[in-house]
Amino acid sequence: MAIGWYLAVSVIIFCIGLSGVLVRRNPLVILLCLELMLNAANLALIAFSRMHGNGDGQIFAIIVMVVAACEVTVGLGLIVAIYRRKLPIDVDELKALNG
Amino acid sequence: MTTLLAQAKIEGPEIDWAGLSPLIALIGGSVIVLLLGLFRARPVREHLVPFVALAAIGAALGLTIWQWGENVDLIRGAMRLDDLTLALTGLFCAAGIATVLLSWRHIAPRESAHGEFYSLLLASLAGMVVLVGATDLITLFLGLELLSIPLYVLCATEMRREGALESGLKYLIIGSVGSATLLFGTAFIYGAAGSTNFAEIAAAIADEGISDSALLLTGVGLAVIGLAFKASVAPFHQWTPDVYEGAPTPVTAFMAVATKVAAIGITLRLFDVALIGVSDVWQPAIAILAAITIIVGNVGALGQSSLKRMLAYSGVAQAGYLLAGVVVASQAGVEAAVFYLAAYTVMNLAAFAVIVARQAQRPDGDDIGALRGLGTERPLLAWPLTLAMLGLAGFPLTAGFIGKFALIQASVEGDYTWLGVMIVIGSMISLGYYLKVVATMWMTSSPEPGEAKPAGIAPGPPVMAGGSPEADDARAPWEVVLVGGVFGLLILAIGVYPQPLFDLAQDAAASLSGLL
Repeated sequence: MAIGWYLAVSVIIFCIGLSGVLVRRNPLVILLCLELMLNAANLALIAFSRMHGNGDGQIFAIIVMVVAACEVTVGLGLIVAIYRRKLPIDVDELKALNG
Repeated sequence: MTTLLAQAKIEGPEIDWAGLSPLIALIGGSVIVLLLGLFRARPVREHLVPFVALAAIGAALGLTIWQWGENVDLIRGAMRLDDLTLALTGLFCAAGIATVLLSWRHIAPRESAHGEFYSLLLASLAGMVVLVGATDLITLFLGLELLSIPLYVLCATEMRREGALESGLKYLIIGSVGSATLLFGTAFIYGAAGSTNFAEIAAAIADEGISDSALLLTGVGLAVIGLAFKASVAPFHQWTPDVYEGAPTPVTAFMAVATKVAAIGITLRLFDVALIGVSDVWQPAIAILAAITIIVGNVGALGQSSLKRMLAYSGVAQAGYLLAGVVVASQAGVEAAVFYLAAYTVMNLAAFAVIVARQAQRPDGDDIGALRGLGTERPLLAWPLTLAMLGLAGFPLTAGFIGKFALIQASVEGDYTWLGVMIVIGSMISLGYYLKVVATMWMTSSPEPGEAKPAGIAPGPPVMAGGSPEADDARAPWEVVLVGGVFGLLILAIGVYPQPLFDLAQDAAASLSGLL
């Protein structure tokens, strides 16, 4: 199958993720959408790695997975801290710092 | 098959321990500090932990100076140790030392935990060193995330204060969008060039005629956007004022200075080394971004009453000036950018030190009104801030003037005269808010004399007393005043005698080959 299809899927996933970050209000859903964006990049990397026949892209993808896990850990930690402080879990309501 | 596998020898990459030593000092320090933070004794947590963090950064700085002049690839081309890496590492260490001193008696490490706070700070510094040394897309991404993830947590460390968690979450979301965009861009660059190594990408662009491939150009565009998020370049800067205001002030100082140095540093290396073959595509794009950034940052800063927000917008504008050094892609451009990065570091650290000191004295220390009458009452605080403001505005005899001069000269030589004009126009607008701060300090008197009461930070026993030159300034922690004073003097010193710093910047610029 041509590389174009893999790329098309990955671009679509990236756009879904990006629009999710922009539109959704719940930080948990936003974190999910960020994961979508990173995984879209992973898909592209692995497809390119297959196309070029070298392993760089695969190594890159594995490292991205590790980093994505770290990012989600910090994100969930922040959301739990916000929940414990009884602040609203809605990014539109978090506007103490508006300006 | 099994015997074949058993006999197969996997050759690990050769590791140049000496070249990696500044990085090892920072990461080792991070682990040790984290463990030390587990001790229950108060003096250990409150004073030994920051002291060890300071020692680790000092060691990294010493090793950086020891390695000066080396020019080697580390770990099979994943990173490069050259004078650019080392010069920027020196700046990170300066920012790190200042941040540790500013947080020493600040509330943020006490409210989270001392061990974790300083450990994350050191981890973030290590990420910056990795990032500016990266010569491979994988290292670039890893360094960027190692820099960012600890910072997301550091922003939220003052957990009980309104806005701290919000600023952490905002930074996390926006920062991650930036990283993901950059990652998607690097995936496309890898797809077009077939390698993640900067040198091989440059070679592929030069040899295989892919400089007009849609894949590569999309990748470059996405990478520009991703890095613009990190360097807070307009129109991707909206997070900056909110996050800077919400974060604890020492962390804000660190973010404002070190993150910007790291982001501009990797932009220099990525575009001037790997993507130099498509410079006719990204040069105009970055030039337009720089122009927008200068205008948006300077106009945005005009109406701010919070000093931290004002410095955030001013930082946006300064990022625009710095991009001029990237755009021209010449030796002079890199030299000017490195010089201005050093000047920017010194000026901002002086300004933030004064804000930290002021916040320790009164709860509204971040507001511009808190500066009324500062000049007559506390000249030790007023002078560094005055010098920082004049320097950022680009007055002669300060570091900022020389830096702007070099940037404008580089843009004129690189056929981007209009960008040089933009820098001048931006500086002109910026006088409107920088001079307001100076005027508030020196030309108004304090509304209620003798009102300044200690707030925010409990005085505590003067553990580090003795040998303090600022003993008369009882309420501001002396180490904070010291940071302000030292960096304030440096602004003046660099402005009067810039030659040594120019020589360093020239060495750093010389380590990038293949410039236009």
